[in-house]
Amino acid sequence: MNNAIEVENLIKVYKNGVRAVDGVSFSVHEREIFGFLGPNGAGKSTTIKCVIGLLRPTSGTIRVLGADTGQDPGVVKRNIGYAAQETAVDDRLTGWENLYLQGRFYHLPRAEIRRRGEEVLKLFGLWERRNDVAGTYSGGMLKRLDIACALIHRPRILFLDEPTLGLDVQTRKTIWEYIEMLRGEHGMTIFLTTHYMEEADALSDRVAIIDRGKIVALDRPGALKAGIGWDLITVRFSTDGGELGGLLSALLALPEVREVRETEDGIYRIAVERNGDRLIPRIVRLAEARGIGIHSIRLKRPTLNDVYLHYTGREIREAEGSREELIRSRVMARRIRR
Amino acid sequence: MTFLSDVWYVAWRELVKFFRAKVRVVVTLIQPLLWLGLMGNVLEGFTKSPYVQQMLGTSSYLSFMTPGIILMTVLFGGVFSGLSIVWDRRIGYLEKLMAVPISRGAIPLGKMLAAAIQGGIQVLVIILIATAFGVRFAAGPLGVLLILLVAMFFSSILSGFSLALAVRVKTQETLMAVVNFLTMPLMFTSNALFPREAMPGWLAAIAKVNPVTHAVAPIRELTLRGWDWGAMYPGIAVTVGLALAIGIWAQWTFRRATAE
Repeated sequence: MNNAIEVENLIKVYKNGVRAVDGVSFSVHEREIFGFLGPNGAGKSTTIKCVIGLLRPTSGTIRVLGADTGQDPGVVKRNIGYAAQETAVDDRLTGWENLYLQGRFYHLPRAEIRRRGEEVLKLFGLWERRNDVAGTYSGGMLKRLDIACALIHRPRILFLDEPTLGLDVQTRKTIWEYIEMLRGEHGMTIFLTTHYMEEADALSDRVAIIDRGKIVALDRPGALKAGIGWDLITVRFSTDGGELGGLLSALLALPEVREVRETEDGIYRIAVERNGDRLIPRIVRLAEARGIGIHSIRLKRPTLNDVYLHYTGREIREAEGSREELIRSRVMARRIRR
Repeated sequence: MTFLSDVWYVAWRELVKFFRAKVRVVVTLIQPLLWLGLMGNVLEGFTKSPYVQQMLGTSSYLSFMTPGIILMTVLFGGVFSGLSIVWDRRIGYLEKLMAVPISRGAIPLGKMLAAAIQGGIQVLVIILIATAFGVRFAAGPLGVLLILLVAMFFSSILSGFSLALAVRVKTQETLMAVVNFLTMPLMFTSNALFPREAMPGWLAAIAKVNPVTHAVAPIRELTLRGWDWGAMYPGIAVTVGLALAIGIWAQWTFRRATAE
């Protein structure tokens, strides 16, 4: 498998002395959705900006589609699309004008912009509103327009920095669908940063967890979760016969099972090392063999949040995220009022 | 070629927004109307004195003042260019411009071009208003065209200056404070509205080196007397030269400021 992006030992120290990225190495495969997960200020945006040539790395090498970002910034820019954390749409231009301008900046011929522009605007459900000034769009529409702009020149890699920051849950899900479609139907490589666990989990083929400028873990979301914790099966038995003790010993005898604990009347929590889902049918069979009825059974697996907690020793700082969102929504409101 | 295209589309964006902001267009027309209609006509009374006529070089204060109003309008219009950069940075559009494969130097040049075109349109309107008030441009239609060109170059000087400042300044308030601090003195230490002969010595000395004075000279020549290249050449050279220098300076600050 070819690598779309290769980053080695990237270090970025800002002029004010802040070491935003501190020796980061990773590679992104072609046609992969690669998630960069971390709290605000972890170095996500700085890494993206170095990779696409907006910032000059202090040291390290970056290759995008085989081209060196430092030496061939033009080659890199032409082949990638970038939608920044801030929705960089000119709200006093119409949706179409925003898109047209972007096409012109990529030096596309007029006919190509018309054809491609219609395609992406229809894809993102903005075609009907294309002649309205972007200031009249909702937050979700602005973000979609921003991503549409980043796609006008058919980039091979799409960089999305916090694509769903400050959007409501419904809109967030819609953006996720678009991202998956771009990879699925258009074979695009997507590099995405987020501080939403569920977003990294739902979308990414692989996730890098970045904290204080360093990558602390990098793997498939499932593998990351499997690596840190046990699945928890909660069972509620409907009968309370003498056979229950036998069942519990049988369960404990299974190699995957680590612990069985009674919590409330008839509710037991079974901690399983891995693949809790595959254990459920066996639990059911064992119970049936002893004539014990099962009222309900539930599986809880570790989330990426648990993974994050495990690797960084702290919860992702949602409070900061929401403060940022608050400021953003204020800026947005101000822009809409104008 | 792609560089020129980049410059044009940066300008295109500003122009689309300029024409969309109808109130702004109307307001920019009202101001010269007031200046010419009120101040011009009030001061017209002074020109009955032959001594004043001699100082002005014309018997009509309106004709003397029109070149000054032309430059004042593009002066106050051009300095607004920098605001668009501060705003673009605020909404992230500046970063978007950095991420697309255009030359970074095209950003200030495009905004300067937009300022020049907007200024040209405003000047055209002032010329029409002045004509309605009875001002006759001695150099004829071609002269009016040259007036337009000089004013556009002058507009791009102010635009480039405010753009280069805007790269360093982070808020619109600061930028406006700095710019206002400079534009008013620039205007009133020039001979745009009053003849240098009427000024005290020290002011006349400042007025002599003021770029506004240099830009006014060819415009006033074309308005009051007609074609005299000898009288117009220094002013045109200074204005065009300054516009080119500021254009290069603005590009340089952009390339440098965005290189981190």
